[in-house]
Amino acid sequence: MLSAASTMVLAVDAAPNPWFDPSYVSGNWDTILPLLGEHVRLTVAAVVLGTVLAFPLALLARRSRWLAGPVLGLSTLIYTIPSLAMFAFVAPVTGLTATTVLIGLVLYSLVILVRNFLAGLQSVPADVREAALGMGYGRARTLWQVEVPLALPSIMAGLRVATVSTVALVTVGVIVGHGGLGQLITGGFAANFYRAEIVTGAVGCVLLALLADLLLAWVGRALTPWSRGARS
Amino acid sequence: MRARARFLTPLALAAVLTTAACGESGSSGTGGSADSGGSAAGGDACAPVAGDQLVVLEDDQQLQNADNIIPAVNAAAAAASPALLEALNSVSEVLTTDQLVEMNAAVDVQRQSAEDVAAAYVAEQGLDAGVSGGSGPIVVGAADFTESQVLANVYADVLTAAGFSATVQTVGNRELYLPALQRGEIQAFPEYLATVTEFIEGDDATQVASGDVDETVAALTPLAEQAGLVFGEPAEAADQNAFAVTTEFADSLGVSTLSELADACGDGSLVLGGPGECPERPQCQPGLEETYGLDFASFSELDAGGPLTKAAIQQGEVSIGLVFSSDGALAQG
Repeated sequence: MLSAASTMVLAVDAAPNPWFDPSYVSGNWDTILPLLGEHVRLTVAAVVLGTVLAFPLALLARRSRWLAGPVLGLSTLIYTIPSLAMFAFVAPVTGLTATTVLIGLVLYSLVILVRNFLAGLQSVPADVREAALGMGYGRARTLWQVEVPLALPSIMAGLRVATVSTVALVTVGVIVGHGGLGQLITGGFAANFYRAEIVTGAVGCVLLALLADLLLAWVGRALTPWSRGARS
Repeated sequence: MRARARFLTPLALAAVLTTAACGESGSSGTGGSADSGGSAAGGDACAPVAGDQLVVLEDDQQLQNADNIIPAVNAAAAAASPALLEALNSVSEVLTTDQLVEMNAAVDVQRQSAEDVAAAYVAEQGLDAGVSGGSGPIVVGAADFTESQVLANVYADVLTAAGFSATVQTVGNRELYLPALQRGEIQAFPEYLATVTEFIEGDDATQVASGDVDETVAALTPLAEQAGLVFGEPAEAADQNAFAVTTEFADSLGVSTLSELADACGDGSLVLGGPGECPERPQCQPGLEETYGLDFASFSELDAGGPLTKAAIQQGEVSIGLVFSSDGALAQG
């Protein structure tokens, strides 16, 4: 009925319960790998979808102050919904699928992405934009060839923060059974506080977040070679 | 260094506590008068006796609801393939509470994975033989505690042996997984007879489940039909409220059932341990007093079958405590 947790003095010989146990990782690799895969898939999908949604929203918000308020306000409002409650709201509609988790993750990523995209676009100096228009660039061409490249540092910063926060948030998906490495964390708690399992999940999340952040930092550098030149 | 010291302090504390408990078990042999043989003894006959091994006293007057393990299956999936329920019923046929205790202990105490424990059980019981006729994918749901994980894996292994391609999906709680089972997102789930009956019935005020397995199944069947579910045969194995004492306590009084305990402990020296709501719940202290005529000297507020209650029984702080009948801590060493 409830959890069959047990500790302390027991009749059967208790196995040691260390925090770090490499043999747990090697022995349960078949379990860990699919969870890691799900974690990566959910994170990538959420950030990509979040970007696709956030970019037009940022453009919309830039057009006038009247639109900026509601757009930023709404994305912030969504961010204040507790993640557990969010998945509980979405689950009855989309069921116990990874989609449930994905919807929540995308909505949460918006607050970071829209703000950073908007800040990036607003940081483009007005005279640069005017110069582009003066040279005969159309609106779309100005956006893609002048404004977006200049906004890239802010856009990449937003993507990095959103990715790292998404890696952490995926774990909450355990309530519908799609929590990636979060399954290990709650699984360890449920299995009478199995420390090696909990630590594997937690450290795995941290490493994944670090790796994703490094990767995006590197992509950012590769995309903005001029900023490197200016520094040196 | 600092972090190290922080880790070591609780360890040292635990070591001290363990030694303290051992000392107590040696010195408290006077707690129960030996072989009082069922007659009401005076004084402190039923005072707590410390000991490592816990044993459940049989609920011989069926105070507790029958929370036997029962396979819950989506009605459409069951209709599409009769092999599904057949395979799951073959698990119910052999599964006992003792086996459940052992499997929980293997995961919770010996740190084996639920998958391995389930696979070993299926092989040992020969459950993978004699099942057939299945095809297509089946998702078995599991709640997020050890026993449910193990049982879901046992179900999945048996279903795979029967020809289905079964996977296990963990879902946090009944509010989420039961609707998913009704919608057919998951097709099978290891459920608890009385709890799921009351859950589907929905009304807290009315009690349809009881301590009688057959009556509860009879109450469940029409409810399940309305809900789009089909239930298989209940297993002998049950995970329900139970009252445990140390083997030392049980042996010194010569009791194995709650009725015998009531006969032996007429002097009101029993100390009861359990969750805070126990003194109000009809299946806890009031039930023990009314159904069995037990008389308690005091009640000690602990947790619901968790580490606090178990440690209190083992260390001789309470004579009898509320546990769950399939708890890994009940495994015989």
